[in-house]
Amino acid sequence: MTHQLKDGGQVLNVGMLARVEGEGGMHIEIKDREVISVKLNIFEPPRFYEGFLRGRKYTEPPDITARICGICPVAYQSASTEAMETICGVTTTDEIQLMRRLLYCGEWIESHSLHIFMLHAPDFLGFESVLEMAKDYPDVVNMALRLKKCGNDVMELVGGRAIHPVNVKVGGFYRMPTLTQLEGLRADLERGLEDALAAVQLVSTFEFPEMEQDYNYVSLRHPDWYPLERGTEIVASSGVRFPVAEIGEHVKEFHVEHSNALHAHFDGEKFFVGPLARYSLNFDQLSPRCQEAALKAGLGETCRNPFKSIIVRTVELAYAFEEALRIIDLWQDGHAPSVPVAPKAGEGIGASEAPRGTIWHRYKIDADGVILDAQIVPPTSQNQASIEADLRLAAQQWVDLDDHTLTHRCEAAIRNYDPCISCATHFLDLRVKRS
Amino acid sequence: MTARAMVIGLGSPDRGDDGIGAAVAERVQGVVGDNIEVLTREDPTSLVHAWHGRRAVVLVDSMISGAAPGTVSVRHAGTNDAPLPTFAFAAAGRGGSHAFGLAGAVELSRTLGTLPEHVAIVGIESKTFDHGPMSARVAASVDNAVAAVCAELESAGFPTAKANKPRR
Repeated sequence: MTHQLKDGGQVLNVGMLARVEGEGGMHIEIKDREVISVKLNIFEPPRFYEGFLRGRKYTEPPDITARICGICPVAYQSASTEAMETICGVTTTDEIQLMRRLLYCGEWIESHSLHIFMLHAPDFLGFESVLEMAKDYPDVVNMALRLKKCGNDVMELVGGRAIHPVNVKVGGFYRMPTLTQLEGLRADLERGLEDALAAVQLVSTFEFPEMEQDYNYVSLRHPDWYPLERGTEIVASSGVRFPVAEIGEHVKEFHVEHSNALHAHFDGEKFFVGPLARYSLNFDQLSPRCQEAALKAGLGETCRNPFKSIIVRTVELAYAFEEALRIIDLWQDGHAPSVPVAPKAGEGIGASEAPRGTIWHRYKIDADGVILDAQIVPPTSQNQASIEADLRLAAQQWVDLDDHTLTHRCEAAIRNYDPCISCATHFLDLRVKRS
Repeated sequence: MTARAMVIGLGSPDRGDDGIGAAVAERVQGVVGDNIEVLTREDPTSLVHAWHGRRAVVLVDSMISGAAPGTVSVRHAGTNDAPLPTFAFAAAGRGGSHAFGLAGAVELSRTLGTLPEHVAIVGIESKTFDHGPMSARVAASVDNAVAAVCAELESAGFPTAKANKPRR
């Protein structure tokens, strides 16, 4: 809807932003063909999770924080368990870490397949939603549903539930799945891997708007594997790298007037977390098969076009299938599901790579394990400034497009981030004002 | 052999009256034979393939229509029935996964050709979706909902122990 303003300006009101996790809004102001203001308006009231974690036991965050999001609960569980184990000086076993990684693969498969095919692909294929897309691309939508089910199945078996898993605890799991149960997933995972690899090529044939920015990518890094459930250090494309424990010294949250979700800066500047950052900083850690698929799809070892995040996300989808199969290949029954974790006074950080980027938790507990302080920093909060920068560039670059096309392009630019506004907060409304 | 009929309880068991789908499914499990598969789901997208190949499906879910809490109603959404309104998904936001509900699942399934011939949606009018137990009136509606599920199975040609008993 277009409104003419008294000063000659123009407001285009599109209503609720489509195909993102949660709802939210955007205000773009253009004067004399120059973009003068871009704001991601997030006005959902704060959800107070950090507040009500205070006074709870150190064993509770995996269950409490998992409820922040239905699409990425494992990210919260991984970050919180790692933080508590770090504080208490406990190292879990290799098998527990493997099972955590498998659970995380389930979340990546579930979340990535949903976003790639059902939320993001309609932008490139010219549909309003997956309901319309299914009429012309039934095979693609059927494949997407099959892939997503694979993720749900992994989550159900390892996590005890497809949404908000209940089998995760500080120190490991309540019980381990058996090799026989895991083998039951194999056929679907093998088919899923082949489908995902084919999908990498499929999405690479989409038409991508030309847009690049000199992002400061930030991601976890691990010496032995592509980062999912944990890493040993944080790396940035600026060249900065440091142990995970120091992330709070580099990433600072702050409040801006137009958003109820905290923004964040990395060493004083905006930054970018998510698949593009992970990929560009960890290409060497991808499997040879996924590297090959990425290069064949036309990606380089880094990617700076945010619209091509759909290709990168699909490479990661294939990687998650491959990792899940690798872990099942390695698995043997008989391992303890958890290690004991006695409380110890202290402060610590845990971080993992949520489907949409680095998430980190910081907790302070007393000697009895009571939580004294909690800080939860999800990826969408950290990306808000980069989302605004992309919108500013997109609106300026395509300022001569008609309002409808420009608005659609701007919405797609937001969806490049697969933002989880429910994690950051809620509700959005896209407005472009011209004068 | 794949059961030709299926009962699905939809919803989150943690969120107040949204737990009614799972509660009814659990009770139905005890009164139907092996020819009817009973399952629970929290993710509506999973329905599109879960019911593929079945002749009859009864879906149980909480609903809000303005009726008194605990009221049980039935709506049909099979291949020969009228499409469900998908405005919540298609118009009000063409939403993310949050907006993809039961109607979206039924209509996507219809488009993809996986929708069963007979689909009955047994809706239980609900009051609260906060974390915690079901409200008293919704919890008290389980018997009526189970009877409605069995009646739908019966009318689709799948007898159940419950439906065969005279109702008091």
